[in-house]
Amino acid sequence: MFGQSQTSLLLFGLCLKLSSHFFEDLLDSIIVDVASECHRIARLGLDHNLDEEEEELRLSAEARARVADPSYSGETNGKYVVDIFGQTHPSVANEIFECMNCGRSVMAGKFAPHLEKCMGKGRKARLKMTRSSTAAQSRHSRGSPVPAYSPYSNSTSTNRLANGSVGAGEPYSNGTSEEP
Amino acid sequence: MSRSPIFFFLLAASLAWFSMKHSVNRPPTPDAGEDQEKEPTFREIINIKLIESGEKERLMELLRERLIECGWKDEMKAHCRTLIKKKGRNNVTLDELVHFITPKGRASIPDSIKAELLQRIRSFLVSAAQ
Repeated sequence: MFGQSQTSLLLFGLCLKLSSHFFEDLLDSIIVDVASECHRIARLGLDHNLDEEEEELRLSAEARARVADPSYSGETNGKYVVDIFGQTHPSVANEIFECMNCGRSVMAGKFAPHLEKCMGKGRKARLKMTRSSTAAQSRHSRGSPVPAYSPYSNSTSTNRLANGSVGAGEPYSNGTSEEP
Repeated sequence: MSRSPIFFFLLAASLAWFSMKHSVNRPPTPDAGEDQEKEPTFREIINIKLIESGEKERLMELLRERLIECGWKDEMKAHCRTLIKKKGRNNVTLDELVHFITPKGRASIPDSIKAELLQRIRSFLVSAAQ
């Protein structure tokens, strides 16, 4: 019948065939796994990269439609305006912090007018400051016209003061001094 | 006489053959409706051994890991996407997807990975056959 070598050749051939079969078996299982994963992602719509250009076009068309819609109010709706990202914010910024000049707590949206008052653009502020700083000077210089110079101002407010100094300086140039 | 042993031998042989062919000692037949059970093939025996020893699971994990490392899985996913884009994501069935990617999947296996796995399977076969 079969010799020893022929038997072992036969077995070897069988072994190769079997191992290929088992390998294919494993591979097919893995292929099915990959396919089912992709199938699931596709059906659930979880793949955002699936068609990026198409999505972009759709979103921009939507946004344009939203803007062009007449029932969609823009500036006049006060607090509830919605911007292109869908966010709303109040018309006056409401974050609160401390003024570095006078130490008061102010609202961000009201900070500029506050600074104007507290640093000396307005009439009252300037009076308040020049009263304390230049009153001393006027005593030294004996009634000579004192420039309404505020020690606290920076370059921009100095300009403003220069423009408006006539009004503020009047009481002093007339010689009347207001007691602090 | 020199002939008689031969004659008896032939008689005995033919009797034996006859009884094998139409044996009176046949094993009890199974019920009439039932198919006669096949012997499990060698392949099935090995399969059972693979599963029971846990080797099949280990081989599967090894193959999965290798295929991810070499980018084969990503290639397959991209290939899936081409079919999904073509047919529309809600019109693809799992069956279609499997049949679509199987030929490419089988063909694009790197040789080194195939060799590694085949080597492991063969060594298992050798150890299992003993």
